[in-house]
Amino acid sequence: MASFQGKKINPKHFHISQLKFYIILLPFAVFMVLPIIYIFTTAFKPADELFKFPPSFFVKNPTWDNYKALFELMAGSSVPASRYLFNSVIVTVLTVIISIFLAVSAGYVLSKKNFKGRNVLFEINTLALMFVPIAVSIPRFIIIVNLGLVDRFIANILPIIAMPIGVFLLKQFVDQIPDPLIEAAKMDGAGEWTILFKVIIPMVRPALATVAILSFQSAWGNVEASTLYLNNESLKTFAYYITTFSSSSSSTVTQGITAASALIMFLPNLIIFICMQSKVMDTMAHSGIK
Amino acid sequence: MKKSKKPKIQYSRSEVLSGYAFCALWLVGFMAFTLYPIIQTFIFSFNDVTVQEGAFNLSNVGFSHYVQALSQDADFLQGLEDYAIKLILYVPVITVVSLILAMLLNSKLKGTGFFRTVFFLPVIITSGPVMSIFIDQGVASFPGIEKLINFDSLAGTVPAFLLEALRFLTSEFIMILWFSGIQILVFMTGLQKMDKNMYEAAQIDGASKWEMFWKLTLPALNPTIVLNVVFTVVMQSVFSLNPIITRITGYMNGDGGYGYASATAWIYFIVMIALLGLAVLVFKKHERRVRR
Repeated sequence: MASFQGKKINPKHFHISQLKFYIILLPFAVFMVLPIIYIFTTAFKPADELFKFPPSFFVKNPTWDNYKALFELMAGSSVPASRYLFNSVIVTVLTVIISIFLAVSAGYVLSKKNFKGRNVLFEINTLALMFVPIAVSIPRFIIIVNLGLVDRFIANILPIIAMPIGVFLLKQFVDQIPDPLIEAAKMDGAGEWTILFKVIIPMVRPALATVAILSFQSAWGNVEASTLYLNNESLKTFAYYITTFSSSSSSTVTQGITAASALIMFLPNLIIFICMQSKVMDTMAHSGIK
Repeated sequence: MKKSKKPKIQYSRSEVLSGYAFCALWLVGFMAFTLYPIIQTFIFSFNDVTVQEGAFNLSNVGFSHYVQALSQDADFLQGLEDYAIKLILYVPVITVVSLILAMLLNSKLKGTGFFRTVFFLPVIITSGPVMSIFIDQGVASFPGIEKLINFDSLAGTVPAFLLEALRFLTSEFIMILWFSGIQILVFMTGLQKMDKNMYEAAQIDGASKWEMFWKLTLPALNPTIVLNVVFTVVMQSVFSLNPIITRITGYMNGDGGYGYASATAWIYFIVMIALLGLAVLVFKKHERRVRR
């Protein structure tokens, strides 16, 4: 099947012989989209439909009640919701930019430079990737305390900018860039930074977009910092703010509010994904690596 | 002065320097917030940890947490066993499914752009907070599929463990698809980097598509396959709804204490590495065989 691309005999437009591919792909695609639809429909379900078992997939009587309840709760909180949202936006933007930069520069040298400890570092990174994330939360807390970062805004950002998964993915992608390309850039007088920004980054853009999506999600959904390191309400993030609702109010309302806030939390992910994915797919098609 | 005598050493030294320089920032963050906490949990795992007014009191208990987890904690051991079986089933299936899907998506079809987007979509779900809602509400399992295949009719003809595996895979099929997003992407990149001339040469030599797949595509994809296997193992293992992780979280929040939670986390970690080593070994072996 992979050989198809090589021979360039594929029809440009739909042909009956392609039907078999669609027959395989379509059902898979449906399963992939289902959860997204479910998030949307659930957010608009009235209480009786929310508690139905087995849960129905589509909403019969869509309602804004869940959102009304959510906004009522928001209006009643001591710190305005916009403050949490602002914190979250700042945290997320900074985290994504910094973590991508750190991951790509580390990925580049770990893949293309020969220095002592390179392999050891990468191995440690891969192992660290696998360690139970929740188990390190208390030692992390101790570090935050010792660094004097409790109740400082930066405690939201600092612990998550060094992404082992980002370094792992990017190193593997940089591995696939042929060395002659970098040597050619060097011959033309490019410094390390020029190589990084003009050669490496354009070529690993699919991986960058993937890492961006992952780091966006970890930053946007992160409640660890707000729960453990910050006591000052006005420094906490939107994700934390949202989780406070699902525990604070009465149970029948809670389900609806949880569903509504799940959609609110999910939408930015979807938007970022749609923006990023075109980059992922485009650059993969003409990445210039042969 | 060395510059004029041994330019080569100078060059490699600058390489070393830039190597460290580029890593430095990441390294600091990694050491402080990932590596050091992991080491700390290792120390904790030999101690009883109590919290008093923000400070931690450690009292050494030696290996007793480990002994307890491995000899008395039946739930934990059962969880480990389930995890290992699940992983052994998941990894090959995810790898194969995502390779097949990547090849389909890589062929020139009308609307592949749309399909590519759709297949990458679950990435934002599995790493997001909404996943637990799905699993709770049973969206992740596909109720009809088990009735589709009559497992009991197979009971006599195939071995029991195979039947169990089949049953498991069909019920978890949607989860498997959802966890294939990044793997599909990685495979697609790998496929697109293949040398197209190679296929032409093979075609002239009279190779069939089937032969081309086994003799050209698969060997060339081997590093990509290993990467995907590692990635799958890792993603499955640290997935926040993984039963063992939930159990360890439970230990942490009182039920057993932080020291005990650290010990179980380390046991889990070691099992995970053993499985990962096994997986990599299997696929690396394949690579050697092909090259010969």
